[in-house]
This record gives sequence, C-alpha cells and structure tokens, in this order.
Amino acid sequence: MTSTLTLDRVTYRYDGAKKDVLRGISAAFEPGKVYTVVGKSGSGKSTLLSLIAGLDVAGGGQILHDGEDLRTLDRDAYRARRIGVIFQGFNLLTTATAVQNIVLSMNISGSRVKHKKEHAYELLARVGIDRETAGRPVLKLSGGEQQRVGIARALSHDPRIIIADEPTGNLDQATEDEILRILTGLAHDEGRCVIVVTHSRRVTAVADEVLGITAGRLGTVKGARGPRKPAVSTTHQDRG
Amino acid sequence: MYILHNALANVWRHKGRNALLGAIILVVIAASVIALMISSTATSIIDDYKERFSAEVTFVPDMEKVREEAMAGSTDGMVRMTMPTIDADQYLAFGESEHLADADFTAATGVVPEDLTPVAADLGGGSGMMTMGGGGGSTFESEPMSFTASLQGDKFTEFDDGSRALADGELPDADGEALVSTELAELNDLAVGDTIHLDGELRNVDEGSLEPIEYEVTVVGTYDDLTDEYGTSPQQNAFTNRRNEILTTYDTVLENYVSGMQGMQVAATFYLQDPDLLEAFTQEVRAEGLPDVFDVTTDSATYNAIVGPVEGLKSVSVTFMIVVLVFGGVIIALLSSIAIRERKYEIGVLRAMGMKKSAVGVGLWSEILAVTAACLLLGLGVGSLVAQPVTDMLLADQIQAAEEATAAAEEQGSGGGMGMRMGPMGGANQADPDAEPLSALAVALTPGTVGQIGGVALGLATLAGLVSLGRITRYEPIKILSERN
Ligand SMILES: Nc1ncnc2c1ncn2[C@@H]1O[C@H](COP(=O)(O)OP(=O)(O)OP(=O)(O)O)[C@@H](O)[C@H]1O
Ligand SMILES: [Mg+2]
Repeated sequence: MTSTLTLDRVTYRYDGAKKDVLRGISAAFEPGKVYTVVGKSGSGKSTLLSLIAGLDVAGGGQILHDGEDLRTLDRDAYRARRIGVIFQGFNLLTTATAVQNIVLSMNISGSRVKHKKEHAYELLARVGIDRETAGRPVLKLSGGEQQRVGIARALSHDPRIIIADEPTGNLDQATEDEILRILTGLAHDEGRCVIVVTHSRRVTAVADEVLGITAGRLGTVKGARGPRKPAVSTTHQDRG
Repeated sequence: MYILHNALANVWRHKGRNALLGAIILVVIAASVIALMISSTATSIIDDYKERFSAEVTFVPDMEKVREEAMAGSTDGMVRMTMPTIDADQYLAFGESEHLADADFTAATGVVPEDLTPVAADLGGGSGMMTMGGGGGSTFESEPMSFTASLQGDKFTEFDDGSRALADGELPDADGEALVSTELAELNDLAVGDTIHLDGELRNVDEGSLEPIEYEVTVVGTYDDLTDEYGTSPQQNAFTNRRNEILTTYDTVLENYVSGMQGMQVAATFYLQDPDLLEAFTQEVRAEGLPDVFDVTTDSATYNAIVGPVEGLKSVSVTFMIVVLVFGGVIIALLSSIAIRERKYEIGVLRAMGMKKSAVGVGLWSEILAVTAACLLLGLGVGSLVAQPVTDMLLADQIQAAEEATAAAEEQGSGGGMGMRMGPMGGANQADPDAEPLSALAVALTPGTVGQIGGVALGLATLAGLVSLGRITRYEPIKILSERN
C-alpha cells in the first residue's frame, strides 16, 4: 500500500520551550482511510496537525508527502492545493462572508472551477449552510456555523488529504453525524486521506485507525492490523 | 486578479481603518497639490520673467575710483577727470560670452551738423568731457570741438516706451539713414530725403591728439519727442539737448571708430541668462580687459522686486510640502504598521490558506493604492480649490516682506551714490519703473503638476506598502494562528 503521507521520527519543540512536544513520531497515512488522533489536551495533537499541514517544519525527522520532504517542498503551494485543513479555531476571514472565504480559498489554490461562487454555495449547502447564512460575514455566524464554513473551505480546493482539528467540537449530534458522513465519504468513496483530531467517541467509532499521542509519541489505539489493543495507552501518565 | 478583487473588497471591509489612513494621505496629497501648484506656477513665472526681462548687466563707472586714478595720474597738479569708456572692441568681445541671453549694442558720438541750427543754439555746445580741479587748460594739440548735436546709433528704446514717436517717414533701417526730431527738422526745414553732413572728432587724451571724422546721413523720417529736454544731464547746452539727437544705426556711427581713440561711446546692454551668472560673467569681462573702475552690476533691484515675492512664495511652499511629506510619511508609516499588526490574524489565515507572502503583500499594497488613488482624486479637487486663496495669502506676506527689504536697500543705496551721469549717454541702474512687482499669482494645475502629485501619491502608497511588507515577512502563519488560538 502506498502512503500519501509518511511521518518518520518527527520531533518538535516550540521556540523557548524546554521540552519537545513531539518526540519521534512515526506514522503512515494512506488514501481512502479515516484516521483519528486522540490524546489529552495539550498532548500535541494540534501541533502534529500543523506540521502535517505544512504550517511549520519539524525539528527533527521527516514528513514526506508522496515521497517529497515537506521541509524542502513549496509549502505555500502544498497548503493551497494538496491539503485541506479544518482548524480548531476555524481561522476564517472574519470580516469576509462565508462564501467569500470559500471563493478566496479556491482562487488561492488556482482552482479551475468555472462558477466558483456557485460551487462555493454548493459546498456550503453540503455542510448545512444556506445561501442567506453564506452571504453573512463570518463574524456574524455562530461557532457551529463557522465550523461548517471551515469544513467547506477545506473541501473547496479538492485536496487529497484533509486534516481536521476537532471538527465536530461545536456541533450538535445530528450535525456531527452529518459531518462524519461527509468526512467518511471523502475517504471511503472519493479515496482521500482524512485525519481527524478528536475527543469524540462518535468520531473514533467511524475511524479506520485511531492513533493516540502520549508523552509526545504516537501509538495505534485501534487499527486494521489488529483488535483494540492499545500499543500506548491514552490514559498513560505523562512522566515528562 | 483575485488578489486585486480581494484587496478592493478589503478596502470596504476595513473601512474605518482605511478612512483614517485615507484622511492622512488626503491631507498630505492636498498639501502637496497646493505646494506643487504654487511652486510650478512660480517656477514658470520666474522662467518667463527671466526669458522676457532677462537680467540686464550694467557697467557703472565707480566715480571714487575714477577720481583716484585721475589724481594719481596727475603730473602737473591738475586733476583731469575723464569719463572712462569701454572700447567697442571690448564690448564686442563681451558680447560673445555664453552666459548672455542677448546683447544690444548702441553707439553715440558728438557731432556738429554742417549748415544746421541746433535746438537751443543759444546755450552753446559741449565738448563731452569733464574737467575738474583748477585751471582747465587743455592738453590737446588744439581746442577740442564743441559739439552741438549727437549721432545716436541704434538708440530706439524711447520708441518702445512711448516717449518718442515717429512723426513722418520711417525708422532708419539701412546704414546711412537717420531720423531727426521734429524740432530740429522745423528749425532747418528738413524733410525726408534731405542729406545732412556731420563733423565729429575722436580724441586721444594721453597723446593729446584729435582726429576729425565725418558723417553723411540721409533723413528718412522725423520723430516727436516727449523726453525731458536735458534728461539727467547736469549740463544744459545744445549738445546735451535731446532734441538734437540724430538717430541712426549702430554700424553707421561705428563706421568712423578708431581703436584706442575716445569720443565715441559704444554701449551695450547685456542680458544674462540668469542673474546668478553675474559673478561668472564679471570674471569673464575682467579677463577680457574691463577696467577696474567699472563695476559690473545687474538689475537685481527690478529682479528682486518682481521675482522676489514669487521666489519667496515658491520656497515657502516647497518647504511646507517637505515638512508635510516628512510628517505625513512618518504618520502613514506608523499607521500602516499598526494596521498590519491589527490585521495579523487575517494575514495568518491567508498564509495558512496557502497564499504566498508576495501575494499577501501585493494585496495589501493594492489596498493602499486604492485608498491612495481615491485620496489622489479628492486631494486634487480639494487642493486646487484651496490653492488660490492660500496663494493669495502667502503672496501678500511675501510682497510685504519684499517691499520692506527694497525700502531698506534704497535708503542705504542713496547715501553714498554720486548721482553723476554723463551727457546724453547716461546709463541708469535703478529698478525699472515699468517693471511692476507681481501682486497676483494665478495658480493652475498643469499636467506636469498632476504627474508630480501622482508621484507623491505613489511614493506614499509605496512607503505604506513597504512598511506592511516588512511586517508580513516577520509573520509566520503558525505563530499568528497559535497566538490567536
Ligand atoms: N505557540 C506555542 N508556544 C509554546 N508552547 C506552545 C505553543 N502552542 C502550544 N504549545 C504547547 O504545546 C503543547 C501542545 O499543544 P497543542 O496545541 O498541540 O495541544 P493539543 O493536543 O492540540 O491540545 P487540545 O486538545 O487542548 O487542543 C501544549 O503544552 C501547549 O501549551
Ligand atoms: Mg488542539
């Protein structure tokens, strides 16, 4: 099986911090699968995602996308075209409308879609945002609505990898299920690689593989290779 | 393309902040419009003045020096003061200077018209020489000729200012043609076509030699004369009476010129390309042999009276603009720096979405450009409306300052002056009474000024843009976003 994304002993330390947040993370992510990453708050899940998203570079080790090291890749183009990121804090342009956010993302990626605005409305409709809501500045949307706009934006440039940081954190169960259906559909029906950081059991339940971060290391909690036998316990005490 | 589109949308999205930045830019642009309008109008007026009036150079004999030289040269206790002259050769050489915009030559010599009665014949003639001190005995081989009229070459300025007018015939055109006053014509029944014989004399003071000269001129016209009969001459006789001036061409007078001999006054009015070239021109003419007794002066009184206020206005407006530009620039730089810091998150989001730093920069710059462009239009409008009243106000101050300065200068100048002028050929070095000081300046917005304002606007936008770019390059998206989260 060809991995679309390979992490090889990745380490990371924030500027000025005394300890590494990530201490040698190795993993392989394949297309067509949904991965979830679980871990305590502050364990480094968001940090890991930002490295995968190409927002920052690993301190040690390598992250390879289709065999290319992210360190040397044009990471702006990588973010614009190859990966869709759903941020924990949404990271939308708050003064722009929902639909403007989506269209701008499509423009940045150099999308060839003819009717970008129409396409944006369709994407938003897919995550439950109607046209009226879509025309409002993001600032005037609820947290849940902003979350959905963030998801729509991640899908806007048709990326092969989608990473999401707590994508259902602000949503009710019905919407969460709807989002999960979309995310699993993206992986299982469209062959994309979906990586989701979550605390939600409903999300881990639909995942093909569940990875846990503890003490800066990653282990498989649930995977295709075997039964639910955690290699690293998510409840393991952090001795650092 | 989308960058531009997004930038324009951003102008509206951040309207509060952009309005503030725009207000500052507007003030700077409007101020620059006023300053540049004034300065360009002033420049064109100054250039125009220089072109039309030029800066007239005058060679004035310093009477102190003339007297000193005469006393030093005296061997027999007698002091003979002779009005120093400049050779025609020298004048011609001076005229070659590249600092000159123009040179007008005139010549004059004393004559005695044969068989004619001069005007004021009862007052007798004059020798054209001044004698001072005791005695008065001549050192010439024989008694110098007493002139009763003068032959003037190319002296037609009075026809321009209206104090003389053609009564009959035409102005001399070819050599040997002459114009006489109606008084002289009536007195002698002269008519167009008549020929006049004139006797003259060249003198060499050092050798005491005299050399007779002769002219024969044909009357081609007569002129009515409204000038003062004796002008500024301290002596009154037939020679100095201006009605006895026979006007002909410069070359006609000069036909009898002998180098090294006196008695023929050649004068030239030189016009400098720029009054500032006086120093260079003086050095040149001294090198050509202009005697030390001559001071080389330019008509700076007239120049200052006319151009002074405009130049003052120009420098005030330019200084004002520089101050506004510097202050405005600093404020704009600060504002855009603050604006970018406030919009850090937005920049982080754009970068996280994969937008390149350069694209973000171009976007921000386009935003500033759009704001600046709007301010440019507004500023041009506001500036050109306000420019005229501002100009009038500033010019009034400048004129007052110039008048005070001129008054002070005149008081100083009249004290030590000798007030000595020689015969009909006396030159004047006073402010030209016809040169009206500028009392109004109609400022106008020229395409050139619009271009300069455009440059100023582009400069401001670029300054703001560069400050923004400088900040962006220090922002890494992950840092911005993690700070926010
Ligand atoms: N910019 C930063 N500078 C220094 N330390 C940071 C920074 N951002 C995060 N950290 C620290 O790094 C660790 C990992 O943070 P991270 O955001 O990756 O945790 P997380 O697993 O996503 O937590 P949560 O579940 O609460 O979102 C935390 O201890 C956090 O305090
Ligand atoms: Mg997190």
